[in-house]
Order: sequence, then C-alpha cells, then structure tokens
Amino acid sequence: MAIKAWVPAAGPFGELQREMNRVFDTVFGKQFGGPGRMRVGYVYPPMNVRETGDHFVVDCEVPGLEMEDLEVYVAGDQLTVSGQRKGALPEDGVTLHRHERDAGRFSRAITLPGPVDSSATEATLSDGVLTVRIPKTEDTKPKRVKIRVES
Amino acid sequence: MADTVSVPVEPKHDRLEPPESHFVPATDIYETADELVLVADLPGVKAEGLDVTLEDNVLVIRAKPREQPKASGDVLLQEFAAGEFYRTFQLPADFDTTKVQATLKQGVLTLRLPKSERLKPRRIQVKVE
Repeated sequence: MAIKAWVPAAGPFGELQREMNRVFDTVFGKQFGGPGRMRVGYVYPPMNVRETGDHFVVDCEVPGLEMEDLEVYVAGDQLTVSGQRKGALPEDGVTLHRHERDAGRFSRAITLPGPVDSSATEATLSDGVLTVRIPKTEDTKPKRVKIRVES
Repeated sequence: MADTVSVPVEPKHDRLEPPESHFVPATDIYETADELVLVADLPGVKAEGLDVTLEDNVLVIRAKPREQPKASGDVLLQEFAAGEFYRTFQLPADFDTTKVQATLKQGVLTLRLPKSERLKPRRIQVKVE
C-alpha cells in the first residue's frame, strides 16, 4: 500500500512544494515506480488512534481487504492488525504499465496507553477502512479525584 | 490471436489539475490482449462520492471521502487524513467508452477498458459490489 502522495494547493508555498515533489519524482519516482514516495520509515497499514473517555478507537486504511484477509488481536495493552493483501495483477499474459499498490503479508502492532478489555473489543470494516473500538478497563477510565482541603 | 501491443500510459499533470490540495490514489495499470485494467486505492470512498470520466483518451478520477460524524476524543496518532482524491491518465489508444466497466469494492476502484474503436465520450456509471 503506497503512502498517498499529497498535492498541495496553488499559490507560492504550494509551488515550492510542487518543485520539491518534482525533484523527488525525478530521483525516486521512476525507480520506485510510484508518485514520488520514499520507502524509508514505511508502515502498513496507516493508523489513526484516538482516545475518548472510555474507548481507544483505531482506524486503519486497508483498501481492497475483506474480512477473511484480516486478523485483529488484542493482547494485554497491545493491538495487532495483520493479514494478506492480494495484488490486482494477474500472473501471466499481461503487460504491466504501472505498479504502485503493494501486495503480500503484513503485520503491525501498536501499544495502547493503558489496560483494555480485549473481550469487549469491536471491529468493523467498510469502504476499505477498518475501525477497532477497544474499551478501556475500569482502571483506565478517568476518575475524578476528590480533593480534601487541609486547614 | 491478436498480438498484445505494448503502449505507455502516461499521466497528464499539466492540464485538468484542480486548484485545491488532493490525494493521488495509488494505481496499478496492466494490459491484456483484450482490455486495459486500472485498479486504484480510494479508501473511505463510497460510490456516491466517486466521479469517473473518459474523454478524448483522458481518464479523470475524482473522489470525495464518505461523510463521517465528527470524531470525538483526543488524537494520539494520525497517519492518514480524509481528503479528496484526484488523478488523470492519458490513455494510449481509443477505447469504447460505452463498454467501460467500473466497480468499487472496499475502497478499490477497478476500471476495465475493452480495446476497440472510439465512440462518443460519456460519463461512466460506477457499480458498487
């Protein structure tokens, strides 16, 4: 899964970014076959994590994956998303013009900032986005601490 | 059996670029004896947000992400954002735009363009699986 190339808006700053993109396209784009992406520090799938009062919510961009391609585990305070991404390219009889979408096995684990209830975790998949809702255990939920005044 | 003709498919950066910032969808393109197939990643996109046009051999893909309720809570990690997708491709040969098939499944657009004589340009209907 390629990192999405971000094309900035028009205007002077956008123009500078576009120039930089052109430089990178020339150096990296052709060799790596993509719109100028760099492979250093590349993780899959890209994740967004947010924290509400009683949940951690993790969104993962996994276009093209179905339920049977994905495995989601919660163990201790660690969430693991792994699976297999099938490519679109047939084996033989094709002329390849462009190849930007990676395929293969992947596995990514992140550590959540507090203990969670793995048995009550829910995951939904729609439009190529996996959303995992992980409830915090009672200990992790914020608790109001009573302040006692000492005179 | 017809020989497979190998032709380059080049993107058209110069014209038709929209003024706003946008994401460029990762795309695979391959060609068989009978058709050109284009597969593009458009995570978070539903059929109603997707617009695909083919005119004068220029393919334009535009997509808006789905409407989402405002996310609550504190952001701990942000590695991707929602935004418009946009990409154009200059296709090498004439395609019959009435026979183009477009399907959208789990955020992936697959376009199949059978090779044939060019007819009038028109909007391509997207079928959701």
